[in-house]
Amino acid sequence: MSLVSAAFLAFVAFTAIVYYLTPGGARRWILLLASLAFCASCGFYSLAFVLLAAVTTFIGGLLSGPSKSRGLRNAACVITVVLNLGILCSVRYYGLIGHFADNLNKVFGASANTRTFMLYVLPVGMAFYTLQLIGYTLDCRWERTQPEKNFFRYLLFATYFPYFTSGPMNSYADLSVKLDGSKDAKFSFDRLRDSAIRIAWGFFKKLVIADRIAVVVNAIYGDHQTYGGLYVFIGAACFAIQLYADFSGCMDVVLGASHLLGIEMPENFNSPFLAHTIREYWQRWHITLGGWLRDYLFYPMLRTSVFVKIGDGAKKLFGKKKGKKVPTYLGLIILWAAVGYWHGGLMKYVIGTGILHCFYIILGELFEPVSVKLRKALHSEKLPYKIFQTARTFFLICLGHIFFRANNVPDAVMMYKSIFQPFSMSKETLASLGLDSGNLIVLLVSFALLVAVDIYKYREKQEEEPRLVLKSIASKPVIVSWAAFMILAIAVLIFGMYGLGYDSGAFIYARI
Amino acid sequence: MTREEVFAKLNEIFQDVFDDEDINVNENTTAADVDGWDSLEHINLLVAIERGFGIRFTMGETTGLKNVGEMVDKIMAHLG
Repeated sequence: MSLVSAAFLAFVAFTAIVYYLTPGGARRWILLLASLAFCASCGFYSLAFVLLAAVTTFIGGLLSGPSKSRGLRNAACVITVVLNLGILCSVRYYGLIGHFADNLNKVFGASANTRTFMLYVLPVGMAFYTLQLIGYTLDCRWERTQPEKNFFRYLLFATYFPYFTSGPMNSYADLSVKLDGSKDAKFSFDRLRDSAIRIAWGFFKKLVIADRIAVVVNAIYGDHQTYGGLYVFIGAACFAIQLYADFSGCMDVVLGASHLLGIEMPENFNSPFLAHTIREYWQRWHITLGGWLRDYLFYPMLRTSVFVKIGDGAKKLFGKKKGKKVPTYLGLIILWAAVGYWHGGLMKYVIGTGILHCFYIILGELFEPVSVKLRKALHSEKLPYKIFQTARTFFLICLGHIFFRANNVPDAVMMYKSIFQPFSMSKETLASLGLDSGNLIVLLVSFALLVAVDIYKYREKQEEEPRLVLKSIASKPVIVSWAAFMILAIAVLIFGMYGLGYDSGAFIYARI
Repeated sequence: MTREEVFAKLNEIFQDVFDDEDINVNENTTAADVDGWDSLEHINLLVAIERGFGIRFTMGETTGLKNVGEMVDKIMAHLG
């Protein structure tokens, strides 16, 4: 079941009605039943794989808890992590099981390389829930949380339907408290209104912006020999906007649906394209994934004796100040390679969303002393310099998106080369991008609205609470907030992309 | 070690890691108060503290500390 569909809205509404009519203590069971039904609607294999992950990490968590011997705890934790990461890599990224599937295809008479079987079993949400559930087992081992003894409580954490397909990621310690709070959740029209606006905004971003701008992206990336020069950058910038509207729209639907049930999920985006540096961008984009990687991969890795020894050796070689950076940079390279691989298991992702960003960050660190002087000379505290920083960061992100969106690495390299080709910005060529003037106006106006909302939300200091438009609307008279919802809903119905080949289920990140 | 002694030693470690002799941490000091205390430098700081005090933080203690006061609580708990 797609998150952007009438079926999902009906599912959420039905679940919410039954949930609020049920006495407090039994609501967890309603949520569990709804979540299992949702997982099953994503396909038998989706349900089977999440149950497998839930059972193994639950047992792994129990055996990793503080009451067991050290040897057993370590063994249980390592086996659980390796098993689940192994399943993720081999199933999701078409490794070992892919080859097995090819052989199955042969047995059933299909061509070996069609991947038919794998497309059929492709489990939804696996990249997200695998990391989240591995995180739980590690939390038990590291004593961040007590092992859960009730399997059905844990199963709800593993399958909770709003975030099952695309996150955001939660820790068990945080979410179990919120799920416990479901017994006291009270329905109110304010809650319904806030949820409705948030979900409508998500639909708007996905159907009006992302799916419309996708037409331009598909035209340019589908024929990069024709669209050289400036078109390569237009394609990359449009893809960046598509990806943001698509993924953040999905998160709006998730957060809105969960809010209706009284269970608050963490925000995953905080005006990412207004970031001044690449590091800041990653603190504002897919925030919960960044937090997971920091807590479960980067910090533990840098605290191992191997990295500490590398640091000691590097300090002797390069001096204290430079030497201490060596293990950090080495850790960053491993971290970003993992980020890239997680995005899809192909080299284009490893480069475009991983290694390239790592290169930017390390380069930024190395040139920091020069940058400090430059910033002083150029009055970095003033607005023009900040605008320059934002534009530069967006440009660097777009360079990575050429790899991300291209079919493969050779295609991406060809696109880079075609930047230097002659190109024409004639009316005919622009028209061939696939959007007529009416659609172009709708796109520009809706994009301007998205930018305005992000600028309103933006706070330069990340520790400051972002200013949410939703909260501001909620403080206005009831008629204003319901009018905002109606305008969004009508805009989605009129301007949403529902043409031939329309597939609302195709969230980019749901395919990860 | 008394709390004051832990603070004094911790201050030396901060000055050494962030290469700034003017740092003077107190109960309420946070990452926002120390130049260069970001997510990358945080782990170097923790490793230096572990070495300086001869302790080993659990992974659960490496994140989520609100301020230096909480950090001192953890150090004292490890020192017994």
